[in-house]
Amino acid sequence: MKDSTRSAIDGVLGVDRLVHEPARLAILTVLSQAEHAEFGFLEMACRLSKGNLSSHLSKLEAGGLVTIEKRFVGKRPQTRAAITPVGREALAAYREHLKALINEVPGSTGGETK
Amino acid sequence: MRMNLEDLDQLAARAQRYARYSRSAGGLSSVIGGVLLFASFLANAFAELALPQRIALALTPVLWLLAKELLRAGYYQRDGRALQAPTDKERRNHRLTVAYLAVIAAIVLGVFLYTAVEAGRMPGPGMLGYAVIVAALPLVAWRWFWSVSDFLVGVLLMCQSAVVIGGGNYPAIWLAYVGACAAIAVIYGLREHREYLALRAEFANRTPFQ
Repeated sequence: MKDSTRSAIDGVLGVDRLVHEPARLAILTVLSQAEHAEFGFLEMACRLSKGNLSSHLSKLEAGGLVTIEKRFVGKRPQTRAAITPVGREALAAYREHLKALINEVPGSTGGETK
Repeated sequence: MRMNLEDLDQLAARAQRYARYSRSAGGLSSVIGGVLLFASFLANAFAELALPQRIALALTPVLWLLAKELLRAGYYQRDGRALQAPTDKERRNHRLTVAYLAVIAAIVLGVFLYTAVEAGRMPGPGMLGYAVIVAALPLVAWRWFWSVSDFLVGVLLMCQSAVVIGGGNYPAIWLAYVGACAAIAVIYGLREHREYLALRAEFANRTPFQ
């Protein structure tokens, strides 16, 4: 196998998989634009179901990329999430990584995650 | 599911635009603020005001802030709150605004106290109300004034409120300046509201992730 091919494969395999998953990437992207966001807004902005959103948020929280705060406003439960500095760095690193990979592909016009 | 960096940038931009309505974008509340501002100065300049009317006029900032909060929670951010993360420049401007108003309030209160001590008697309830509103100005600014339009409307409404509860009034000559500030707030507010409607349409037209 050519060195360039090996390096390209290593590059793809080296992507942060916790961030790479599209729904989690969307959640982190939205959270990176606010001090914190409530569950309902994340649901609407990322167009995820409650169950999916909850499951992805739990994974991101376990990875230390977001913090989740649950509280009651009156009698209504309210969940809000915020990106952590580690999450912000991971998102920036992921984007840089993706851009670098795209630039290695001849004739590429934009990055896609599948 | 496919997503590229451009999609992510668009999503980030939409989230940022939505989050603005938690702080710096007032939308219809700026329109309400502008209208309240002009109406209250007009009433204060031309109408003979008895105590109940003075109290009602003094409450216009409360009415504006209430409208602001209700519109934010019940309309602009009804899908869930996303608190705007201000840029460094916005944060610096906000701090400067609050500091400026705190200094002005401290000077006004200093003069107020000095005058009271000089006179050797407790100021009346109207003047105490005046002092309370002046003291509240930097706190209100810290919590609510995140845009030029908020600053123009908020400061003038609070000043008018303090003066009217203290028994005074702004002369009619102020109406030109107040009218210009109110017009700025209304124009900004209507533009922000149109932008919000466009943003909702963009969110509605997005493809789901799963």
